[in-house]
Formats: sequence, C-alpha cells, structure tokens
Amino acid sequence: MSEEIVQEEAPSLSCVVSAENRGLGSLRSVRWRLNLGILPPSPSVDDLRRVTADSRRRYAGLRRQLLVDPHVAKHGGSNSPDLVMDNPLSQNPDSTWGRFFRNAELEKMVSQDLSRLYPELGSYFQAPGCQGMLRRILLLWCLKHPESGYRQGMHELLAPLLYVLNVDIERLSEVRKIHEDHFIDKFDGLSFEENDVTYSFDFKKVLDSMEDEVGSQGNSKKVRSLDELDPEIQTIILLTDAYGAEGELGIVLSEKFMEHDAYCMFEALMSGAGGSVAMADFFSPIPAGESQSGLPPVIEASVAFYHLLSIVDSSLHSHLVELGVEPQYFALRWLRVLFGREFSLRDLLVVWDEILTADNNPLHKDSGNEESSCFNVLNSHRGALIAAMAVSMILYVRSSLFATENATTCLQRLLNFPENINLKKLVAKAKSLQILALDSKLSSSSSFIFDVAYNRSKSAVSGHNLSPGPVSPTTPLSLVPDSYWEEKWRVLHKAEELRQDSLDKQAPSGKRRWSDKVKLVLSRTESEPSPARAEKYKKGHRSSVRRSLLEDLSRHLGWEEDTETVDCFDTSNLEDRHSIEVQVEGQNETSIDSICTAEERCESGSGTSVSEENSSVFSDPASSGSSTTNDHENDTEKSSVASNLSADEIDDRRLNNPEDSPLPVSSPPEDVLLNYPHENESSGKMVSALKQRRHLSGRFQWLLKLGRNNVSQEASDKGVINETAKSANRDSKSNTADSSTACAPRSSSPTIQRDVVDQNVMGTLKNLGQSMLEHIQVLESVFQQDRVQVGSLDNSAKSNLVGKGQVTAMTALKELRKISNLLSEMLQMAPGLQSMRSWALGPQMAWVDEPVDRVEAGLDSGHPAFSDLKGVGVFAKRLFCLIDLDLVFALHCLSWLFQSTGNENLRWRDIFCFLTGVIHRLFPSQVLSGFEP
Amino acid sequence: MVLVLALGDLHIPHRAADLPPKFKSMLVPGKIQHIICTGNLCIKEVQDYLKTLCPDLHITRGEYDEETRYPETKTLTIGQFKLGLCHGHQVIPWGDLDSLAMLQRQLDVDILVTGHTHQFTAYKHEGGVVINPGSATGAYSSITYDVNPSFVLMDIDGLRVVVYVYELIDGEVKVDKIDFKKTTATTHSAH
Repeated sequence: MSEEIVQEEAPSLSCVVSAENRGLGSLRSVRWRLNLGILPPSPSVDDLRRVTADSRRRYAGLRRQLLVDPHVAKHGGSNSPDLVMDNPLSQNPDSTWGRFFRNAELEKMVSQDLSRLYPELGSYFQAPGCQGMLRRILLLWCLKHPESGYRQGMHELLAPLLYVLNVDIERLSEVRKIHEDHFIDKFDGLSFEENDVTYSFDFKKVLDSMEDEVGSQGNSKKVRSLDELDPEIQTIILLTDAYGAEGELGIVLSEKFMEHDAYCMFEALMSGAGGSVAMADFFSPIPAGESQSGLPPVIEASVAFYHLLSIVDSSLHSHLVELGVEPQYFALRWLRVLFGREFSLRDLLVVWDEILTADNNPLHKDSGNEESSCFNVLNSHRGALIAAMAVSMILYVRSSLFATENATTCLQRLLNFPENINLKKLVAKAKSLQILALDSKLSSSSSFIFDVAYNRSKSAVSGHNLSPGPVSPTTPLSLVPDSYWEEKWRVLHKAEELRQDSLDKQAPSGKRRWSDKVKLVLSRTESEPSPARAEKYKKGHRSSVRRSLLEDLSRHLGWEEDTETVDCFDTSNLEDRHSIEVQVEGQNETSIDSICTAEERCESGSGTSVSEENSSVFSDPASSGSSTTNDHENDTEKSSVASNLSADEIDDRRLNNPEDSPLPVSSPPEDVLLNYPHENESSGKMVSALKQRRHLSGRFQWLLKLGRNNVSQEASDKGVINETAKSANRDSKSNTADSSTACAPRSSSPTIQRDVVDQNVMGTLKNLGQSMLEHIQVLESVFQQDRVQVGSLDNSAKSNLVGKGQVTAMTALKELRKISNLLSEMLQMAPGLQSMRSWALGPQMAWVDEPVDRVEAGLDSGHPAFSDLKGVGVFAKRLFCLIDLDLVFALHCLSWLFQSTGNENLRWRDIFCFLTGVIHRLFPSQVLSGFEP
Repeated sequence: MVLVLALGDLHIPHRAADLPPKFKSMLVPGKIQHIICTGNLCIKEVQDYLKTLCPDLHITRGEYDEETRYPETKTLTIGQFKLGLCHGHQVIPWGDLDSLAMLQRQLDVDILVTGHTHQFTAYKHEGGVVINPGSATGAYSSITYDVNPSFVLMDIDGLRVVVYVYELIDGEVKVDKIDFKKTTATTHSAH
C-alpha cells in the first residue's frame, strides 16, 4: 500500500472512538468489526483472541475446502477409479473439474469487476496482491453462499473493508517501526505487569502523536515489546494474561490474516449478522421470506426510501413520480453498494462509519402494527439510516432534480452525484432523517392522515427555521431539526452563491445568513399569510385615499412594478433591505436573530436603517412607500375590475388566519425582493428623471439596443412603463387591482386553493400571473441595471450593485418557481384548469411572432450586444411557443433554465428573453402599447 | 493450466457421419484453450465445428482433406512444452515409433501428435511423448476396420502434462490418464 494513502487516512482514524471498546475502536477496522459483530463487545482478551482465531480458522478451512485445484487432487488419489467422472470434460458438476471450471468462471467474472475497482486508487486496489485477496474472498463467499452467487457490486462492498484493514495494519506497523529504537535500548527494564488501561491509553496517544517521541518514550517501548509478541499471539493460543492487553491490537490486526479478517467482515456485512439489514438481500432477486410486499428486498428498500422522501419533501417526491422516476432506477445502485459509487472512498468510509455504527438489531414489533413490517428496511436503526441517507442525498440534489423535465435527465443527475459535497451536513441530515424514518414507519399506517397533516406539517416545519427555539411538537414531523431545512435550502442555493462574486468576500456565516434569508423568502410562499400582515392589509383597506393614482405613479416611478409591496410593513421593508445590504456588503454584524419576532424586526429595522441609508433618496420612497401602497390598495379595491376577486381572496385569507398562527413571522422576508428593484429604480430616477417622459419607445426596443448601455435607454424603459400605465389608465388600474390581490392565492396553501379554485379559477390564475409579472419586472430592472452599470454614476458601488441585482433577481426567480409549483399543483387539483390549455391554444398565437421576429432581427443585425446570443433567438422562439401552449409548462421551463444552464451570460439572456415573453403573454395590452410607439 | 484437445481422422462425411453424440456432449466451449487436429477432417464444416469449441485451432493436412492449404507439419509452443503436429501418412512405416521419433527429433518437439493409424497410442520416448489420438469418429482405416472412437485431452501445467484419453468402448466413454513430466527421461509404453 502506498504511503500517501496511509497519510491521507490518518486524520480520520482518531475521529470516533467508541467508549466501550477501550481504545480498540480508535482504529476504524476494529471499530467496524465490533459493529459488525465479529469481535465480541466484551473487553476480555481471551474472548478477543478466541473469536479472532476462530473466525480466521473458519476462513482458512473454507479456503481449503472450496478452492479446488484439480492438480493437487491428483496427487492424493492418482489413478482414482472414477476417472470417468473426474476428468476435464466431465459433465458432472460435482466433480473436481466441474467445480474447478465453475470456480474459474466465477473467478473470471469477479476479476472482470475487480480490474475496474477504484481506478483512481489503482496503486492499491489494482496491485496483484490486493486483487488476489479480493478475488479469493469474493470467490469463497460466493461459493459458500451459492444461493446468492456473485453479483456485480459485491466487490465494491468488500473493497472498503479490506482497505480499512490495510490502512490500520499499515499504521500499526508504522508505529512499530518508528519506535523500534527505543524498544531495543530499554527492553530489559520493561515490566509486563503494566496496567492494561494505561497501556491502551498510551498507545492511542502514540498513534496520535508519533512525532512526540520524547514524551512517549516509555509507551513506545511497550509498543515495541508487544509487537514482537504479536506473531506468537497469533499462533500460540495460550499465552499468559500479562501480555494480553498489549497483544490486543496484535490479535485483531495482522497483516498475515488481513484476508481472513476481511472475509469475516464481508460475510458479516452481507449476512447482516442476525440483524435486519443484510446486504446480500439487496442482491437477491427474490422476495425475502418475511416480506409482506412480495418485492425483492432492494426494491422494497427503495420503496421505503421513497416513502420517507414523500414525508420529508412531498413536492420533490411528486415531481419524481410525475417524471416516472422509479426509486429502484437509482436506489438499486445506491443501496447495493451502500453508496459506494456516489462518494469517494474517503467520504465513503465516513458514511459507513455511521451506517455500521447504527444498531442493526431489529426493532421490537410489539406495537403489533402490521404496517410497521411493510418496510423491513426500516426495522432497524441501520436500515433506517440507510434509507435516511438516501433521502438526504436526494435532497442534496433537490434543486437540480426539480429542474429536470424528463426521467432521463433526472436519472442522470441522480446517478452522477456531485463530488464536492459537504459530507458532514449530509450525514447529519441523514441522522436526523433516521429518526424520522423510524418514526414514519408507524405513521405510515394511515397515509390519509398524512395527507391531511401535510399542509400543517409543512408550515410547521417552515416555522421551525424561523424560531431556533423549541417548537411545540404537534406533528411527528417536528422532529426535523432546524438545521435540516436550512441545509435543504442551502443546497438549493449553493450554485447561486458560487456565482456571486461580490459575495465571495463574505465570511461563511454571512453566506449562511444570506441563504437563511432566501430560505425565508421561499418558505413564505408556501406558508400562509401571517395574521400581522393580514391585519395590515385590513388597515390599509380602511385608510382613505389621499392622492390620485396619477400622482402616485408620477411620484414613485417604477413602483407599479412593485405593487406587491402593498402587503408589507414599511418597517419590515426597511429592515429587509437593510439586512440584505449588509449581507451583500459583507457586514455581518446585523442581527439576523431579530427575524424571530416581527416586533424585534421592526425595531431593529427602523433603528439601523437610518444609519445605513446614505442617501435620502432611498429612504424617502421607502418610508413613504407603505402609505402610498396602501393608497394603491384602496384604489384598486374600489376598482370594478377586480373588486369581487379581491374580496374573495380576503375572505379566504381571513378564514385561514387561525391556521396561520403557528408561524407569525414567516411572510415579511418577502420584501427582500421588492426593495431592490425599488432601490434600483430610484437610482435610475436620480440619473435621468427628466428624460423619462420623453421616451415612448416600445418595451421591446431596449432589447434591440442592449448594446448601448446608456442610461437614457434604461430610463426610457421605465418611462415606458410609466407612460403605459398613464395612457392606458384602465389597464394599469386593473393591473394594480390584480396585484393587490395577487399575494393571496400565491401564498395560500394547497388546501385553501381547493376552495378558491372552485369559485374563481381564472381570477386566481390572473392574480398569479400578475404577481409573476412583478417578479419578472424585478428581474427586468436588474437586467437594466446590469446593462447600464458602465454609465452609472454609482461607479464605486458598481460591483455591489451587480451583486445586489443578482440577489434580487435570484429571489424573484425563486418566487417564480414557487408560483410555478403552485400552478402545477393547482392544475392537478382542479380538472377545470385543464381548459386553460385549450384556452391558451386559442387565437392569441399570432402576437407571439412579432417579439420573436424582433429578437431574431436583433440577431441578424450583428449588433455586438447579440454577438454572444447565439442560438438564443431560436431558444426564445421555442419558449414563446411554449408559453402560448401551456403556461405551467413554460414556468417549468423557466425553472429549468434557471437551474441547468451553466454559462452565466447565456443563462441570463435566456431568462431575459423568456421573461419578456411571459410578460407579453400575460399582458397583451401592454405589449400592444409597447409595440406602437 | 492449459487444456489442449488433440484429435484427428474424422473422415466426415466419407467414413463417418459425425462425431459420436457422447463425445459431442462432452466437448463444450469454454474449457479447451487449444485444439490440435492431425488432419483428415475432411470437409470444412468439421473445421467450423472445431472452431466453435475453441477458436485456437491448429490443423495439419491429411491425405483426404479438401482444404489444401493445411501445412504438412506444424509446431507450436504451449506453456513449457513444444508440440509437433503431423498427420502421419507421410511417416513410414505408419505408426512406427522409431520413424515417429525421427520426426520428433526433426521438429525438435517435446510432444509429437500424429494420426492416420486410427489407433490410440501414446509413447514416452527420449524425454518426450509421442501420441496418436486415434480417430475421433471411429472411422475405419486402411489398416483396420475395428476402430474405437477416441481422442486425447492434454492438461499442460508447468512442466507437467497429463494426458486424458477418451475412448468410446461399447457405447461407454472410457477415460484413461497418463502423467508425464518433462524432466523425466523414462521411456515406456503406456497403453
């Protein structure tokens, strides 16, 4: 074995020491053997020696018995009478030659797999010695268990075992070598009557600090002395007890018997050693005897793990089911080799540490619950951990799975598990899920209860991450620890985090906070509106109209894009913006904890915002924003277009408020995304407030002039928006009316939607569309920001601006994704919505052509801005068609776009084109006005 | 460990229709690494059949072989042993040990495999072995009509070769075994 492998593994050896094993557990191989039940848990040296020797003798006997050599047999009985039976061409399978040929066949199969074992660690695993050992062990096991036979993957279960043994043995001999000198010098003065405990403790110390030779001189002497005795201990069974303790490691670790020990470990792992998880079952194509499902064990385990997934993350589960991704497609590989293919060997050892440490004994079935036995896998701690590990892994790639559109790509993602993973978190999550798995086994009995409890539990869980403190365990799902969801979303945002150059300088805690924030934003869409918010809503309802709509629009340019803020506190507005700013700028000192309560948030927000805000331009609209938006609200409430609609929504909301009480603070963080555009807009306003009115260019025009990057262009866009709103007063009215009610359906949970859908499907959809538009506009503004940043006055904060813009855009995109999920859920729930499809296929098709043509014209013009837009035009066309065909599908496309495209430039522009299409699709009136300058 | 099948004088289809079914059932692909055939197959179909048993096929030409491209003699090295192959109708007197020994020296081989007599014989001679696997189909020869189908399987392992003789006598396959070590210089007839 190469030296570097030893070194590489060295740190991990000292990671876990099981207390009861007196230091033996400090070596991973020994610990595994204890966990696998090969070594007795009792600390008696005699037991240890006896058991070890027995197991090795058994292997040696097996080897003698099963590994046949026809030539050797010839020596014993030459000219044997049954030469007719025992010849190379004999048809008798029991003949020596028959067995020989069978073994040879098996060996060939095994060798084929072994030759491809861990090519990255080929120096060790491809060495002839190692290959021979692995081959013999596998061969013997297969011969011993003809009912299982050899299956691909078994070698990958064995390899880590042998590797671990080898690492430990190397380590031991290394220690011996280092301390040899000391031993020779002072051997005579050594007494063998040393205390056992002292010894093992010292030895560990020696292992950990080998360089510290001065301090451990005495210990190393002892080590050396016992090492010399090792071979004796191996061979001479009766040895005085005085040497016993020193021999312990020598007993259990010996290079000579590495193969024997590896076989025993492998056999224990495969058979499960009396426990409920026997890896051999996973290779068996026939159902296990006690299985009720009648499925092969590995399929059953896959189903169990899917079941667990459905509890933990039903949306992902339904997504996978929708795509037709059966669990066994990938779980077969995951489970059979115990995730050996998904992790590097180094990580795998850590994972196995956990899996093997978990108790494999079947849990008591005294509950008498027949359902509990429906998943045999979940009947032990180890099995539950394995299932939990699988779920944890699938959640790790959750976001990219959501981005997949068909089973093939989905499986591709699942079978190409990312390499750079945070193993600790993964394992920690798995462990937390393990508890859930063991628990869910019981709750699985009544799936309908689960269905009912689903929404509650969902909100309860989302409430968790908001309040780190103890939460009332109303549902079994509250067992999910806070870190779980955080982790989940962290994974989701990992990719984006990486892209954020400006955020790179942040401390890790800052990143975490940021993800926290986003997580809150996202969870908000799933959760229901908070009472506080609803209250505010009502309050706004009561307030009287002070300004005309026109006034509002002129005062707050671009605010029509952000009409969603009607739902928000002004204080929380400030707070959120403030905190985001702080995060972006890497100032982590703000109190993220204040999120816990809305009151705190208000205080801290208002307190710090003043100090943070450098320009009064920012703070003015922000502070006055709420009143303005309240006015907005009132205006729109009264407008005839959507008053019925909004009233309905409000009713719904009021009805649902009691249910919302567990999560009083989940909603406000949404403001994050609303503030940024606001800020951006206002900065844009600063730059070119005067020019804005003059430009009446179409909305699409700026797409064609992307390359100009001038401020006026940007301003004109806003002006367009403004003008559009002005000139088409009715339109904007209806728009704002929609927007005021938009949040209700979006934030309502599926159960509520069921009611809503019945009454007002189309209205809800429209509202959804409006809220989508808002997010899209947020994105648009970010885009503009991106483009004009060269000409922007705020040069110093340029990078920050980009970063902020990205944050905002990401947030908005995520909101969109949530909406799309919601939409698809609605689609499933309400068959009436299917008519949407046919409606969408109607005569509206025609207008799609023009934007597409324009994009293509831009491409054809060869303008530098389009130089890197290769293929985007075609892409956009495709997307536009999709939009027209199916809104829901298009939104899925959006999420796909958002996730999958690696090229950042391309991605941004794709998204942009797509979003523009969505806008046009949803609001033809705006489109028309935009096209007619 | 290498298994080498040696057979010859099948005379299909002139003197025999096919290999005996018992032989055919024993000869399965996957076990044999080399086939050496002394000749007189006589048609190409037989060669194709032998190829199915093992792709490494070596044939010398018998006087009835349709295929004229087979060589008169052939030598090959398997493991530590050098094998010589010849049909034997060229060696006169047919089946004479001294004449065959001359050929053995000529080819400078440890094991000489010849045919033509349709009688299984195996001699250990001058530190080598001279083997005649007989006729695998039991076809009559110009010498005798009383022919038992037989072939030879050699298990070459290091310096040792174990010759298994398969003979079909009264419908039963009889197996015999001859041990031979390269270093030993003893010479005696084993059959």
